[in-house]
Amino acid sequence: MTLQILINGILKGGLYGLMALGMSLIWGVMNIINIAHGAFIMIGAYITFLLFNFTGIDPFVSLIFSSSIMFLIGYTIQRGIINLVIRAEIFITLILAFGIEIFINNAALMIFSADVRKVKVSYGASNFNMFGVTIPYVRLIAFLLAIAITIILFFFMTRTKSGRAIRATSQDLDGAVLSGVRVSRIYAITFGIGTALAGAAGTLWAIIFPLSPTMGGSLTLKSFVVTIIGGLGTMLGPVIGGLTLGIVESFGTNWFGTTFESLISFSILVIILIFRPKGILGKGKE
Amino acid sequence: MEKDPVILSAKGLTKKFGGLTAVNNISFELKRGEILGLIGPNGSGKTTLVNLLAGNLRSAGGEIYFNGISIKGLPPYRIGRIGVARTFQIVKPFPGMTVLENIAVGAMNGRSGKKRTIKKAFSIAEEVLEFTGLSNDSGSLAENLSVASRKKLEMAKTLAMDPEVIFFDEVMAGLNHKEIDRSTEIIQKIRERGISVLMIEHVMRAIRSITDRIFVLHHGNKIAEGTPEQVLNDSEVIKAYLGKRYEQLIK
Amino acid sequence: MKKNLLLISILILFSLSPFLTSNNFLIRFLTDILIFSILASSWNIIGGYTGYASFGNVVFFGIGAYSTSILMSNTGLGFFVSMILGGIIAALFALLMGLPILRLKGHYFAIATLGVAEAIKALVQNLNITEGNSGIYLPPPEMSVDGIYTFFFYVTLIVLALLLFLTSIIFKNKFGYNLKAIRENEDSANSMGINTTIYKSAAFSLSGFFSGLAGGIYAFQQGFIKPEPVFNVLITIKMIVMSVFGGLGSLFGPLIGAFTIETISEFLSSYFLVAHTLFLGIVIILMILFAPKGMLDIFINIRKKGLSYFRKNIEEHRV
Ligand SMILES: Nc1ncnc2c1ncn2[C@@H]1O[C@H](COP(=O)(O)OP(=O)(O)OP(=O)(O)O)[C@@H](O)[C@H]1O
Ligand SMILES: [Mg+2]
Repeated sequence: MTLQILINGILKGGLYGLMALGMSLIWGVMNIINIAHGAFIMIGAYITFLLFNFTGIDPFVSLIFSSSIMFLIGYTIQRGIINLVIRAEIFITLILAFGIEIFINNAALMIFSADVRKVKVSYGASNFNMFGVTIPYVRLIAFLLAIAITIILFFFMTRTKSGRAIRATSQDLDGAVLSGVRVSRIYAITFGIGTALAGAAGTLWAIIFPLSPTMGGSLTLKSFVVTIIGGLGTMLGPVIGGLTLGIVESFGTNWFGTTFESLISFSILVIILIFRPKGILGKGKE
Repeated sequence: MEKDPVILSAKGLTKKFGGLTAVNNISFELKRGEILGLIGPNGSGKTTLVNLLAGNLRSAGGEIYFNGISIKGLPPYRIGRIGVARTFQIVKPFPGMTVLENIAVGAMNGRSGKKRTIKKAFSIAEEVLEFTGLSNDSGSLAENLSVASRKKLEMAKTLAMDPEVIFFDEVMAGLNHKEIDRSTEIIQKIRERGISVLMIEHVMRAIRSITDRIFVLHHGNKIAEGTPEQVLNDSEVIKAYLGKRYEQLIK
Repeated sequence: MKKNLLLISILILFSLSPFLTSNNFLIRFLTDILIFSILASSWNIIGGYTGYASFGNVVFFGIGAYSTSILMSNTGLGFFVSMILGGIIAALFALLMGLPILRLKGHYFAIATLGVAEAIKALVQNLNITEGNSGIYLPPPEMSVDGIYTFFFYVTLIVLALLLFLTSIIFKNKFGYNLKAIRENEDSANSMGINTTIYKSAAFSLSGFFSGLAGGIYAFQQGFIKPEPVFNVLITIKMIVMSVFGGLGSLFGPLIGAFTIETISEFLSSYFLVAHTLFLGIVIILMILFAPKGMLDIFINIRKKGLSYFRKNIEEHRV
C-alpha cells in the first residue's frame, strides 16, 4: 500500500516537474513569473482534446502539435506584449501576466463552456502489476515522456548555440548585449520554449486527468510550488521539486483526504519560502 | 568621570565568503575625535570590515565595543541609533525622495531621532544641506543628482543622524580635484564637531592631508598601521599597492 | 492644494448621493466602489508606500468577512463589534504572517503572499467552524429595504474616510517617511536607524485591518459568504490594478482607480454578460502597457509631451 502511494506520487511528480520546467526557465532567464503558465497548460490540453475528438490523432502524437503551436503563441506574446514592459518593476509584469491569464481563461470559457471534458483513449484504463503495485500504462508513458523532454531541454541548453545564448543572457545580461546577442529575440525564444513546455505538460495532463477552462489557476500555483521547492537556475530543480510535491501530495491526501490537497501544497510553498527561499537545492537563505 | 579616549574598538574580526577570507582577525581602535584612514588595494576587505562594524554582516568571532558597550551582533538599525553611522561605497540614496527628505529621514532616526519633531528634523536637514553644500539640490529628486552630489548626499544622510562615529566608504571616488578638496574640508569640519571618523579612501592626497593615523588591509590582513608618514613609506604597503610590477623592479 | 479641494468637493457630493437619488441599484453600485476604494487604499499602504507588492491581500478581506460572520451568527454579537473584531483579527494575522514573509523581497514576497492567501482559502474550505464550502449565513439587518442601502453606503463611507484621514496624517509624519525610505532603499533605511521589521509589519497590519473591515461590511451586506468568492485572487488583482491605475503611493489615487475600474467593470458586465471578465483582462493589459504610472501621470504629462508620452513609457521598459 505504501509502495503504491509512493509510485502514484512519483508518476504524478514527473508530470508536475514538466509543468514547472517552463515556468522555472522563464523565471530564471527573464526574471518574470508567468502567472499565465497554467492557462498555457490548459490551452495545450485543449489542443490535444480537440485533435483527438475531431481528427482522432492519438494524444501522445499530438504532443508535437501542442508544443509547436504553444511555442508560436508564447513567442508572439513575449515579442508583442511582455517585452514592452520587461524592465518595469516586477509586480508590473506580474499584473500583466494576470491580465493575460484572465483573458485566456475567459476566452476558453466562452469557446469551450465550463464543462469538464475527458480525452477517452481506448488504452486509457489498461495497466500492469508489479510487486503488488498497479501502474496504468498512460501514467508511466506520460512520466517517461516528461523525463525525456526534460533531458532534451538539458541538451538543447548545453549543446546548441541558442541554448548557450539563453544561458549567457540569464547569467549576464549586459555581457550578452555587448557580445552581440539580440536579447529581445533570445527572450522571445525562451518564452516560446517555456510555453511549449507548458503545452506539452497540458497534453500529458489531458491524457490522464479531466480538463476544464478554469484548470489553469491551480496548475500555475502548483508550478510555483514545484519551482520554489526545486530552486531556480538548474534543470534538476523542477524534477526534484515535482517529485517532492508529487510524493508529499500523494501521502498527504492519503492521510488527510483529497480535500486537503491544495492546503498541503500551499503550506509547503509558504514553509519553503520562509525557511529556504532558494529552494531545497539552493544554498542557504535569500 | 573621565571619558575613555577610545570610542570604538574591534578585536579579532573575521569574515569568510566560502573559501575566501575577506577579513582576517582584524583588531583596531578608533580614538575619540580622530580621523583614522583605512586603505588597501581593491578587494582587500575594507568594505567588508565596515559591513562587520555596522552590523550589515556578522563576524565569525571577535568583539566590537562602542563607548565601552559591546555592539557585535546588533542589527544595523540598533547600531545606527546608538550613534554609529555609515555611508555606502555604492551609494544608496532614496531615489524617489527629494534631497531634503533624504536627509530629513536621517534626522528623524539615527541617534537623536526620538527627541526630534518632524519640523525639527527638517530644520536640521536644512542645516546639514547647507553644511555639505547641497543647498541648490534641496528640492531635486535624489535620482537626478550628479555623481558628486550623490556622494555628498551619502555624507549628509549620516550627518543628520547626529552620530558620534561615522564610517566613510570612498566618499571621494569619482570626484574631480576641486570636489575632493571640498569633501576633504567637510570631513575636517565634521571632526571639529567632535565626531570620530573612519575613512576608507583611495585618494591619497586626501588621506595624507587629513588622517591622524592609517591602517592598511591586504588580502584581509592588517599589514601596517601608523601615521600617514610611516605607513605611506612602508615598503610592505608599497608592495601591496604596486604588486608584481614592484617585485620585478626590485629584482 | 487646488486639486485636493476639487477632490474633496467631489467626495462631499458623492457622500450626499443617497439623498440625491432613490435608485437603490445606484447606491449599491456606489457602495461597491467604496468597498474597493478601501481595499485599494489599504493595498496602497503596503504595496504603494512601503514597496511590498502583496499578491495576497484578499486574505485579510476574507478573514474579516469570516470573522464577522462567525461572530455574528455564533455569538450573537452585533454587527459593529463583530466588524471591528474582524478587522483586528485580520490585522493580527497580517502581523503574524508578515514577520516571516516581509523578509522576502520581490517575486518571493509576491508568491509567498499569494501562497498564504490560497492556503487560508483551502483551510477555510476544510474547517468545521467556517462550514467548508457550504458557506455561512449571517443574521439579516433589521431595517427597511431603502434603509439597508443607505446604511451600508454610510458605514463604508465612514470607514473609508477614517482610512484616508489616518493615511494622510501618517504620511506627513515620521512613520510615513520611514515607510517610504524602506521602499526606496531598505538597506540604507536600516543603517539609518529604522527598525524596518517593525515598520513593515505595522504597515502590513494597518493594511490588513482596513481590508478586514471591508470584508466585514461585505459579509453583512451579502448576508451569506462562501470561500471561493471571498478569497478570490481576482479581488487582490483588482486592488493592485486600481492602485496602479490611480497612481501608486498617492492618497486619492486608489479612489480614482476604484471608481474607474468598477465603472468599466459594471458597464462591461451590463453589456457583455459572459465576456466582461475577458474585457477586464484586456483592460489590465492595456493599462500596464500604456499607463503603468497611472492616470494622474498621464494627465500631467500628456499635455506636455503629447502622444510621445506613450512611446516613451514603452521605450523605457523594453529591451
Ligand atoms: N557578499 C559577498 N559575497 C562573496 N564575496 C564577497 C562579498 N563581498 C565581498 N566579497 C569579496 O571579498 C573581498 C573583499 O571585498 P571588499 O568589498 O571588502 O573589498 P574592498 O577593500 O572594499 O575593495 P574596493 O577598494 O574595491 O572597494 C573581495 O574579494 C570580494 O570579491
Ligand atoms: Mg570597498
